[in-house]
Amino acid sequence: MTMARSMRMLLIAPAIVYLAALTQAPFILTLFYSFQKWILTSPELGVSFIGFENFSYTLFQDTTFRAAVINLVIITAGIVILSLFFGLCLALLLHRPFPGQGLARSLAIAPFFVMPTVNAVVWKNLLLNPVFGFVSYFTTHMGLPRVDILAQFPKLGIITMAVWQWTPFMMLILLAGLQSVPDDIREAAEVDGANAWEEFRNITFPLLGPFIQLSVLLATIYVLQLFGEIFVATQGGPGSATTTLPYYVYETISQGNDVGTSSAQGVCAVILASIIAAFLLRLLARTFQVSKA
Amino acid sequence: MTSRLRNAGLTLATYILVLAIFFPILWTLLAGFKTEATAVAQPPVLFFTPTFDNFKDALTNAGYLGFFAHSVIISVGSTLIAFLFGIPAAYALGLFPTDKSAGTLSWVLSTKMMPAVGVIIPLIIIFKGIHLFDSLAGMIILYTAINLPLVIWMMRSFFAEIPKDLIEAARVDGADTMHILWRIAVPFVTPGLAATALLCLIFSWNEFFLVVNLAGPNASTLPVYIAGFMTSEGLFWARMSAASTLAVIPVFIAGWAAQRSLVRGLTMGAVK
Repeated sequence: MTMARSMRMLLIAPAIVYLAALTQAPFILTLFYSFQKWILTSPELGVSFIGFENFSYTLFQDTTFRAAVINLVIITAGIVILSLFFGLCLALLLHRPFPGQGLARSLAIAPFFVMPTVNAVVWKNLLLNPVFGFVSYFTTHMGLPRVDILAQFPKLGIITMAVWQWTPFMMLILLAGLQSVPDDIREAAEVDGANAWEEFRNITFPLLGPFIQLSVLLATIYVLQLFGEIFVATQGGPGSATTTLPYYVYETISQGNDVGTSSAQGVCAVILASIIAAFLLRLLARTFQVSKA
Repeated sequence: MTSRLRNAGLTLATYILVLAIFFPILWTLLAGFKTEATAVAQPPVLFFTPTFDNFKDALTNAGYLGFFAHSVIISVGSTLIAFLFGIPAAYALGLFPTDKSAGTLSWVLSTKMMPAVGVIIPLIIIFKGIHLFDSLAGMIILYTAINLPLVIWMMRSFFAEIPKDLIEAARVDGADTMHILWRIAVPFVTPGLAATALLCLIFSWNEFFLVVNLAGPNASTLPVYIAGFMTSEGLFWARMSAASTLAVIPVFIAGWAAQRSLVRGLTMGAVK
């Protein structure tokens, strides 16, 4: 079917213009601001063009920025890898027919619906509080020393909360993948005498490839933006142990009121996210081609 | 026999794992019905006389209700406007694709992938300049932009499933494009519409980064209220749990209702 060009424009253009105005245009402004010296709370200093000074400070002098990038990579990688692992286990278990399957699936996806700030207050207090928390009750009863996870292993604490949230996301996509693997292929393998592990490694896993790819890519893009958990549970601390790029930009603008520097950080964050996404796309495509061959 | 035993073992493992995953939610729900003393009791208390005071407190607290109202207004408003802009585009892209459509769609997707920190600074400055800072209208405008790519991608995949004859027949009858779009095509994809709406509501309801940067007391939503608990009332676990439970219940209802389309929405229509 075809449609007159003018009618197509009329239908599509409003959405495109809207999106461009609220995403592209602000990003171009961010780029523009990143070359300026501009402190919101000090209007007497004025606004001036300073070339790449914000970038050279951010990239070469600001040690917190470097820590924020490293923290972001560690925390994101930890979350994505662990939730992929747990999500895959969960998907394989929930794919088998068993009584109560529907209810079990509904309960298993529930954490994904919990808003990030609720996730953080619940884990920080009810579960991980070193004195009154549920987890510490168990660990101390098992004879382990009392630990304050968010103070002593803050990255692990943030990763734990986020893995709890993102495991269902992985599980949902992988479960859809498992459902698309035809049962007769698996049955044929069973007839040929393949054991469960061989069947998984040679049949299910390669066929699941595209779904694993998609889930890792999407989760990475979302998890790179993780903010609410850190804002509530650690405020980027202790020190800057859990200060990630999004949180550092937030600090620079909300506490430092520094438009130029925070914009330069924002530009770096966008570049980093694009590099990671491009790198992942390639890596995953190659890995799965190899395993198919 | 061994395979039946193995099966039963796997099922038991599934139950235990699922219960462990759901436990933090269950524990929060329970804590909402406890007194403050029982909520922090060690060893943890499983059986107790439930009290409804914490829920009553939350529901009669003007602050909480205000934030709740902001959440409802902003998420419903932004979902409706995203439909208004997104459905015509999805209709054209889904039913009348040209060789440029793929490019348009990936551009739409790229706006969704843009990290929020890449746009937040100008938004703060512009919103303050034109008095949209800390306003319901400002948050609705922003969340519409978040929901729009989802509406376009998901509705496009639903529109693409409409039989072409149906549209062709209406055209032969002389119906104009707007009539066909809103009176024939949209009613045909009602289930898809409902699923898309639920997903938009969930994402707007839970969004935190933009609202904490761009809103204050006049437009802040529930995620901000809950975050505030940490600083002001961090030790009132029972009250905090009740407020948290009430804040996530609407999302649970929406999420479970949209469960079958969830994957489609999360993958922007890539996985059906």
